[in-house]
Amino acid sequence: MLRLAGGKIGRNLFFVATIVFFGLPVLWLLLAPTKSNYALSYENPMSFGSLAQFGDTWNNLVTYNDGIIWRWALNSIWYTAVTVGVALAASLPAGYAMAKFRFRFRGTLLFLTLLLMLVPQAALILPMYLEMSTFHLINTPWAVILPLTFYPFGVYMTYLYAKASVPSEIIEAARIDGCGEFGIFRRVFLPLARPVIVMITFFGVVGTWNAFFLPFIMLTDDKLATLQTGLQLLVASTSAVSGGNQSTLPIHAPEVALASVISITPIVLMFLFAQKQLIAGQAQGAVKG
Amino acid sequence: MSGKSPALRTSLPQRRLARKGLLFTAPYVVLLLLFGITPAAYGLYQAFIVTKIMGDPEFSLWQNFADVLGDYRLGTSAANVALYMLTWLPALLILVFALALAMDAKRSKFAALTRFLTYVPGAITGSAAALLWLFMFSPTVSPIGPALRALSGTDATFVSDETMPLILAIMGISAGAGGWVVILFGALTGIPSDLIESAQLDGATAWQTVWHVKLPMIRSYVAFVLIVSLANGFQVFVEPTVIRAGAPAHISQTWSVNQLAYVYATGGQLNYGRASALSILLLAVCIGLAVIIIKRTNFYSLEDN
Repeated sequence: MLRLAGGKIGRNLFFVATIVFFGLPVLWLLLAPTKSNYALSYENPMSFGSLAQFGDTWNNLVTYNDGIIWRWALNSIWYTAVTVGVALAASLPAGYAMAKFRFRFRGTLLFLTLLLMLVPQAALILPMYLEMSTFHLINTPWAVILPLTFYPFGVYMTYLYAKASVPSEIIEAARIDGCGEFGIFRRVFLPLARPVIVMITFFGVVGTWNAFFLPFIMLTDDKLATLQTGLQLLVASTSAVSGGNQSTLPIHAPEVALASVISITPIVLMFLFAQKQLIAGQAQGAVKG
Repeated sequence: MSGKSPALRTSLPQRRLARKGLLFTAPYVVLLLLFGITPAAYGLYQAFIVTKIMGDPEFSLWQNFADVLGDYRLGTSAANVALYMLTWLPALLILVFALALAMDAKRSKFAALTRFLTYVPGAITGSAAALLWLFMFSPTVSPIGPALRALSGTDATFVSDETMPLILAIMGISAGAGGWVVILFGALTGIPSDLIESAQLDGATAWQTVWHVKLPMIRSYVAFVLIVSLANGFQVFVEPTVIRAGAPAHISQTWSVNQLAYVYATGGQLNYGRASALSILLLAVCIGLAVIIIKRTNFYSLEDN
């Protein structure tokens, strides 16, 4: 397979197969809101329903609970913005310092960072809940935001990038020119590190946006829910996925699919944007070895 | 590695840099202590607290661990997870490295489109993923219905304890591969271009460049993908839970090890000590493997040797 992927035709065939594998479920999800619940189960899975049906699905969703879905969207946006802002401000200097400075506990810090990346999230949820309740933060956005500002993945990615792609000679040269350490970080490292900054920002946003268990446990007030936990509330209150039909609300599989599409749209748009930024960053920051 | 000599250690600029190192890492260290170490330490402490059916909890160094290891469900869960890892991890690694290298070989628009589409399923999580994959694995409503029917021979749902490793491997690759492709592609484009050029000037073929220049340069990332994937694989929890939500009769509640831990913590017994003990055992296996990988790949060195 590898050798085949080396040639132009082989490579493009490889890409086509990849697109089919990854694209098919997504296409199904995009088509689902255009169909009625009945059509979804009994008609061709990859058929397009109708725009009128899509309009009905849309109305059913946005009128649910007085349009609470927009409130969930707003919550997701501001929780994510604050979380990622703080996470970056802490992670970038830490990753840079661990790659380029030699100091006490550097090895310990690296080890703990990697170790805590391996600790199962599920194992930390209950202790985290007790900690947040000690600070009286349960049922406030901070119970979700604060734990997620600890971002070992961002620190590691910055560390790897600084180690592999930012030559120590450049930093040494700036130092000889009399630039302070913070100045070097800000004016030399940050511009060079643009690809990795875009990358960890992107993964930070995705991780926070998609976080499910933490908001699920910490926030019991419907009005504080994020899009992810809101979607769960939507499903739970209507049994739209498990197939039961006890609810009189017009929320079924197509409405849930539409809510899913709404919740993934910002991530997909951001990916398109980040991809351009990554390529732009690579063109500018061509590092001489 | 001249910094290791004692003479340099004590020199003034070195000491100044050491102080700066602590200063630069301080905000992260605070977050690490508050939201990493504190909850982890509390979880560790809980592993030694034994919940009694009658009476007060007791402290014991070994009781919870012995109870967990003696649980008849653990063997089945561990075997399930092992089979899943053997299906998923090799396929994931080969796919992400092949995709990243193929995209790097010729940075065409088509490659960029593929990279984009590879990533999109990763954005679908939680309830949305549950809805999507339940439909995908029900032969009568799935776009891949004929393939499922050919595999299972019936119209009944494809979901069962036995098919879970395959289902989870497909879900895991669909949701996880895109992120790794982005990271690896980023790492490949970060390789200084004159290194590639000089290899080509020396007459290296595209394949030789891959094996002798590109792969060695992204060696740290190989270890990184392996360690994170191993940890995620051992901890598999959300996907089987999600699939089970739609097909409770077909999937065991304790299919994976982490689901067993969750049953301890939330089931009728509310036995948080056993849940913690099991998490620690799971973590010990992950760390053991991570240490081997780190040692093998020289992951920690300060400079690239």
